[in-house]
Amino acid sequence: MENIIEIKNVTKEFKVLNRREGLKGSLKDLFSRDYKTVRAVDNVSMNITQGEIVGYLGPNGAGKSTTIKMMTGVLEPTSGEILINGRSPYKNRSKNAQEIGVVFGQRSQLWWALPLIESFKLLKDIYMISDADYDNMLKFYQSQVDIEPLLHKTVRQMSLGQRTLSDILAAFLHDPKIVFLDEPTIGLDVSMKSKIRTLIHALNKEKNTTVILTTHDMGDVDALCQRIVIIDKGKMLYDNDISHLKGFFGSYRTLKIRADGDLAQQTELVKKEFPDFSVASDEDWISVLVDEEKAKVMEVLGKLQSTHNIRDMKLEEISTEDVIKKIYEEGVK
Amino acid sequence: MKIKKYLSLTRAGILESLQFRMSLLIMAAGNLLYLIVVYFLWKAIYASSPTDVVNGMTFSDTLIYLVLATALFNFMEMYVVWEIGRNIQSGKIVLDLLKPVDFRRYMFWSYSGSFVVNFVTTFLPTFIVVCIVTNGAVPLGLNLLYFAAAVVMAIVINYSIDFIVATICLFTESIWGINIMKQVVVLLLSGATIPIAFFPETLKTVVYYLPFQSIYNAPLTLLLDGSPSAGKVLGTLGLQLFWCVFMTAVSRIFWKVSLRQITVNGG
Repeated sequence: MENIIEIKNVTKEFKVLNRREGLKGSLKDLFSRDYKTVRAVDNVSMNITQGEIVGYLGPNGAGKSTTIKMMTGVLEPTSGEILINGRSPYKNRSKNAQEIGVVFGQRSQLWWALPLIESFKLLKDIYMISDADYDNMLKFYQSQVDIEPLLHKTVRQMSLGQRTLSDILAAFLHDPKIVFLDEPTIGLDVSMKSKIRTLIHALNKEKNTTVILTTHDMGDVDALCQRIVIIDKGKMLYDNDISHLKGFFGSYRTLKIRADGDLAQQTELVKKEFPDFSVASDEDWISVLVDEEKAKVMEVLGKLQSTHNIRDMKLEEISTEDVIKKIYEEGVK
Repeated sequence: MKIKKYLSLTRAGILESLQFRMSLLIMAAGNLLYLIVVYFLWKAIYASSPTDVVNGMTFSDTLIYLVLATALFNFMEMYVVWEIGRNIQSGKIVLDLLKPVDFRRYMFWSYSGSFVVNFVTTFLPTFIVVCIVTNGAVPLGLNLLYFAAAVVMAIVINYSIDFIVATICLFTESIWGINIMKQVVVLLLSGATIPIAFFPETLKTVVYYLPFQSIYNAPLTLLLDGSPSAGKVLGTLGLQLFWCVFMTAVSRIFWKVSLRQITVNGG
C-alpha cells in the first residue's frame, strides 16, 4: 500500500530566550541575545498508509503537537523531510490544507457566534465542496449521530462534548485524506467519549480516512488504533501494533484499596499475601500492580477482602506514563 | 468559483454582526455621546474666534465633516490588530493558517461582513440625518459615486495598515501599546479627529505625503465638495490607488516575514 505520510529523520528545534529571574533580570532580558536551543522533536521517522488509524502517544511536552504541526505545514522542520500525499506540507500549505482536517481538542475552528449549520456552509464554500458531496456527507453524519438538534444551535451555547463532536464533523466535512485529532476526548464524559470513538471509527471505515490521533486516554487507543507510536522528549520510543504492546503491558492493572488499621502494617501484610506483585503505598492507599495473567483482579480483591477490612477501593488502567516508564525500564522485546 | 469563498465569509460576517443586537445599540449610543462632545468643543473653538470662518471652514462645515468622519470611523474600524495578536498569542492562528485560503484575504473577507452591517446601521442613518438637518449642505450628485470608490480604497488601505501593525505585534509580543499608538497616529494624521485644514502648513505638507489622509480626508473631501474639478477627483483617487497598491504590497512582505517567524519558531 502507498504511504500517505512519510516522515524521514525529522528534527525540530526551537530557539528559546534564557529568561532571568526578577525585575532586574527581566530588564536585562529585553536586550539579551542569550538563546538556548530546545529540541522538541528528535530524529523521528515513520510511514503511514492510507486508511490507518495511528495513536500518537506520549506525556505532555513530548513533542506530539509539534510533530502534528509539522505534518499540517504550519511548522517547518529544522531538518529531515516530511511528505504528505507526496508533497511537502510546509511548502504547499494551502494545497495541503485542502486535503487534511484538523481538530485541536482545546480550541475550536467553528464560528462561535453562529449556528453550526452556518459554519458548515462556510466550510463548504471555503473548501469548495460540491453540493452533492456536501449533502451526502451530512446524510452520513445524520446516520451516525443525531446532528439535527446541533445544527441550529450556536457553537457558544454548546457543551464541550457537543462542541468537540461538531469540530470533528467539521474536520471531516471536505472528505480529507488525513485527519489529525489532537486530544479530541480531553475533558469529556464517558458517554461522549464513546460516541466520539464510534463516530471516528465509522468515518474511518466509510471514507478510508487516515487518522492520526494523540491522546492520553488509553481507552481511545484501545477503541480505535491498530498501531501506536510513542514519543517522549522528542524521541521515538515505540512504533508497532497495539497488540504487541498489549501483550507486554495490557495485562497489568493497578488495584488500590483503603483498609482499616495502620497503613504501613497493612501494606506489609498485603506484600506477604502477594509476593508476586509489586505492592506500594501512597497517601492512604495501598496499591497492588496485578498481573492478570497470574491472577484476576477480582480474585485478588476477594482475597484482600477476607483478610482486611476494606473501606474503599479503585481500579486503575495502566496509563501512558506507566507504559513509557516501563519501556524505559525494561525496553520492548 | 473562487469569489464564492470570499462572499461566503462576508455572509458569515453579516450573520455574526447581527447576532449582537445589544452591541449595535450601545455603539450607536456611544457614538451619539461622542458627537455631543465634538459639538460643544468646536462650538467653543468657534466662539473664541473673531471670525465665523476658521481655516476656510465655517462651524457647520467643520461639524458636518467631523460627524461624517465619526460615522466613517465606526464603519471602517476593524480591530484586526487585536484579533491577529490574540490569535497568535493563544495559538488559534494555526487553525486559520490551515484553511485553504490566503490568510491576508481570509482576514479581510471575514471582516467584510461587519463593514456591510456597520454601513447600514451607523453610516447610512448618520448620513441621512446630516443631509436632512443641514438641509442641502451636503451635495447629492456624482460626488456620491466618487465617495463610494474612495471608501472602498480607504478600507483596503486601513486594513493593510492594521495588518502591518498586527505583524509587528508578533515580534514585540505585546498588543495593547502598539495598537493604541497606531490608532492615535491614524486618527490624527488621517484627519478623522481634526480636519486637515486646521493643521499647521508644514504638517499639512507632511500629511499629504503619508498614506493616512487617504483613509478619512480623501473620501470626505470628495463627498463634501459639490463641484470638484476632474483633476481633483482623479488626483485624489489616483493617490488613493497608489497607496492601496503600495500598502498591500508592504503588508504582503510583512506577512511573509511573520509567517517565517511563525513556522520556524512557532510564533
